[in-house]
Amino acid sequence: MWKHRELLRNLIVADFKIKYQNTSLGFLWSLLSPFLLALVLYLVFRNVFRGEQYYAVGILVATLAFRFFSVGTSACLSSLYSKAALITTINTPRKILVLSDALSTLITAILEFVILLPIIWWSTKHLVPTIPLFLVAHVLLLLLIYGIGLILGALFIYFRDLAQIWSVLLSVLIFCVPIFYPVSIITQETVRQIYLLNPLTRLIIIYKDVTIYGTLPSVYDFLVVIGFAAFFIVAGNYVFNRLQRRFAEVM
Amino acid sequence: MDAITISNLSKRFKIPHEKKTTVLDNIVGLVTRRVSYEEFWALRDVDLSVKEGEALGVIGRNGSGKSTLLKILAGVMFPDRGSIKTTGSVASFLALGAGFQAELTAKENVYLYSSILGVSNKEVSRGYYEILDFAELRRFENMKIKNFSSGMYMRLAFATAFHTNPDIMLIDEVFAVGDQTFQDKCREKINEFRKRGKTIVFVSHGLDAVKSLCSRTILLDAGRVVSMGDTEKVVKEYLAMISGGAHA
Repeated sequence: MWKHRELLRNLIVADFKIKYQNTSLGFLWSLLSPFLLALVLYLVFRNVFRGEQYYAVGILVATLAFRFFSVGTSACLSSLYSKAALITTINTPRKILVLSDALSTLITAILEFVILLPIIWWSTKHLVPTIPLFLVAHVLLLLLIYGIGLILGALFIYFRDLAQIWSVLLSVLIFCVPIFYPVSIITQETVRQIYLLNPLTRLIIIYKDVTIYGTLPSVYDFLVVIGFAAFFIVAGNYVFNRLQRRFAEVM
Repeated sequence: MDAITISNLSKRFKIPHEKKTTVLDNIVGLVTRRVSYEEFWALRDVDLSVKEGEALGVIGRNGSGKSTLLKILAGVMFPDRGSIKTTGSVASFLALGAGFQAELTAKENVYLYSSILGVSNKEVSRGYYEILDFAELRRFENMKIKNFSSGMYMRLAFATAFHTNPDIMLIDEVFAVGDQTFQDKCREKINEFRKRGKTIVFVSHGLDAVKSLCSRTILLDAGRVVSMGDTEKVVKEYLAMISGGAHA
């Protein structure tokens, strides 16, 4: 991976140039759209759980975190297919193509969170010292995205309806993580245990902890997320290595 | 010393009777158990070695396995049997301009495409104007290539690819680019590569181009090497084969 860092950088720079130079507001516009989405959700849901402290701003944080996951995995899913000419004719390191798309979304997600900071400050009247830790959460989420992205990207070459299937799964998933409701509404213990197994749930809890509540997440939360990330990286590499031998034929 | 050693190489394609490209199709296929396909050997028991600095021509009819051979050499396809060994860096010019982005300028594309082909930014910078001058596009370096004519596009792709300086070059039928002067320039460039001791594998239907470039040529038919040796001799056999109609 390290020896391909220049290729990686060139791909990411090209990606940003293509995405943003053609809109009049450029990069600003791309940052505006997630915030408009978050604003709508905020206006709709802010009164639902009145008792919950910082509920409304929590929606913003959680929405942006989830968006990082959904945009990132979707980008990885199509990254090989959209570069079919490279796959079929040049011996490019193929995982680098997936990684470059994952890293592009990481950069966007970091910028989105930086813009979020004044909004958090405005609505909670303070900024907690643990805020920089969102970068750690971002890196963990990136690993998760890259591992899942390797599997999705490789499978998409073989199954062309995977994009639709994945987008349906994502819209189901958005309700399986604590974005619009607090974890505390799940009272039944067994359901709660299963619910908390989801690494995205843990990550969203971590995001809210470090950016709003100013508490350090438990080591156990971290270990669950790191465990899942490691699992998906290993599984992703395994699936990718198996499937990539026939990429050029299937395309 | 051999730059390329191929032994006992076979490549099989599975061609399904009904192509299943979706999850749904595959589930239906599993339930109804109609997973039928035909096997097709694109290459069979190919033995071949190419010496360092040699230019090898590959000729044959459509579907004889020429492109599959190049793709395996390029490392984008993998053989089902047999082995393949290459020494030195390999550059594949199978489709020029793969990786070009229409929305980027000529300059940005030169750097991006080079980096995809494995050339560092530093090396590109060193020969950047050489590339543009060869492509005759210096005036247009900051123009987006979506505004290029197809000739300009291919010239830029050619010039960038030529600048990669690999040990082994795989070239697939890419001479039909640009006007006569540019074609001559390309041919000259390839000859220059040969003189500098680069190994070249050249696939073409243009028999004259093969004759002028390659000293040795192989003839493929239905995935097998049916003839190998002096280019003049092999080209004659090929001509006899296609005029005869049936398999030689």
